[in-house]
Amino acid sequence: MTFLVLFWEYFKVGLFTIGGGYAMLPLVTQIVTVRGWMSERQLIEFVGVAESTPGPFAVNLATFVGSTVGSQTSLGVFGGLLGSFVATFAVVLPSLVIIIIVTMLFDKFRNSKFVNGALRGIRPVVVGLILSAVISVAAKTVLPNLDFKNIRADGASKFNWVSLILIAAFVPLSQIKIKGKKIHPIFLILFSAALGVVLFGVFGLQS
Amino acid sequence: MGKTSVQPNKKLRVSLWQLFWTFFKTGLFTFGGGYAMIAVLEEELVTRRKWITSGDMLDMLVIAESTPGVIAVNTATGVGYRTRGVWGAIVATVGVVLPSFAIITALSFAIRALSDNLWYKAAFTGVQACVTVLVLNAFVKMFNQLERGWFSALLLVAAFNVALFTNFNVIFLILIGGAAGIVYALVADAIVKRRNKPLPIAQGGRLEGKTDDSDADGGDK
Repeated sequence: MTFLVLFWEYFKVGLFTIGGGYAMLPLVTQIVTVRGWMSERQLIEFVGVAESTPGPFAVNLATFVGSTVGSQTSLGVFGGLLGSFVATFAVVLPSLVIIIIVTMLFDKFRNSKFVNGALRGIRPVVVGLILSAVISVAAKTVLPNLDFKNIRADGASKFNWVSLILIAAFVPLSQIKIKGKKIHPIFLILFSAALGVVLFGVFGLQS
Repeated sequence: MGKTSVQPNKKLRVSLWQLFWTFFKTGLFTFGGGYAMIAVLEEELVTRRKWITSGDMLDMLVIAESTPGVIAVNTATGVGYRTRGVWGAIVATVGVVLPSFAIITALSFAIRALSDNLWYKAAFTGVQACVTVLVLNAFVKMFNQLERGWFSALLLVAAFNVALFTNFNVIFLILIGGAAGIVYALVADAIVKRRNKPLPIAQGGRLEGKTDDSDADGGDK
């Protein structure tokens, strides 16, 4: 029964959140607290973890909630496994169905004046959203205390200058071509992790 | 913008295994929101494998953003569908989700300890700097695909400011963008029609004045 509820709740999360993982957060918070699965504090703690572990943030969160809920049942470890599977599957299912349908219909309607017009408006909005993601990731890295939605004087109290230098260094590094090919982003990520360990871990350059 | 398509492309020779592996890697090296994965996807799908063009990529992002669900998953499903139809969609989606599933499930007992680990934190601080640049590169690529002009510029700047500084729901931004695009298209259409309306020869002298009028109308809207 728990698993059915879990499936249903996460199916709704997948179905009713548009615009990416962070848009899901309020709905997930509401569900886990109303159902008594987790405290809000527990969830928020995990949000930090979900951001820093590999994988899309929202999927990580779904897997974690599923695993927590599942292990509370009498099935124990197996319940945790089943729970994470159910929640992950449920959050992905609406995407799978909707995207296939929308993609199938996309070209049929793309010559319509309305769809074309709408796309012309949505494209720059999406690019604007990506730009806002650039700035918020950059700020989170360089000025961890800054909150754009609520700017206060102490926003600049912590300035991570090493990260700023790293960002400045990665801009040209990501454009370098070796034998006509740019360095693969995956190698850049691995390299940056190694640099992080050396600079912040070994030399303790954290501001 | 060149001719883009999001339909299954029968000419592509992509094995399901290749598709799975590409998206597994993408899932494994995505941190945070779905935007970071655009850089990895661009590199893999557009530059290296040439399965899709940058223009297709932007259209897929548009679909991913304006439909329900996680953006990263939506993009995976869309690319999978385009390269190998329904099975491709399923395989790519499983691929992008599997790393999360495996890592979070395996570590769920130790996960809080990991996030407090100083070495892990140090590595992740480095990764964050790199991800910033990757998202920046994705932005530049997508920006280059945009139609130039005041209309695009206005919407881009407005969406950027609203998304960064307010809690305004993103879906409304997309809806407003779509509505503005439709209005813009209709107005532009009306102007073209008015300009091209054949006028009686006797009124030919007024033709130029008429055109100026409709131009001014369009500018006001």
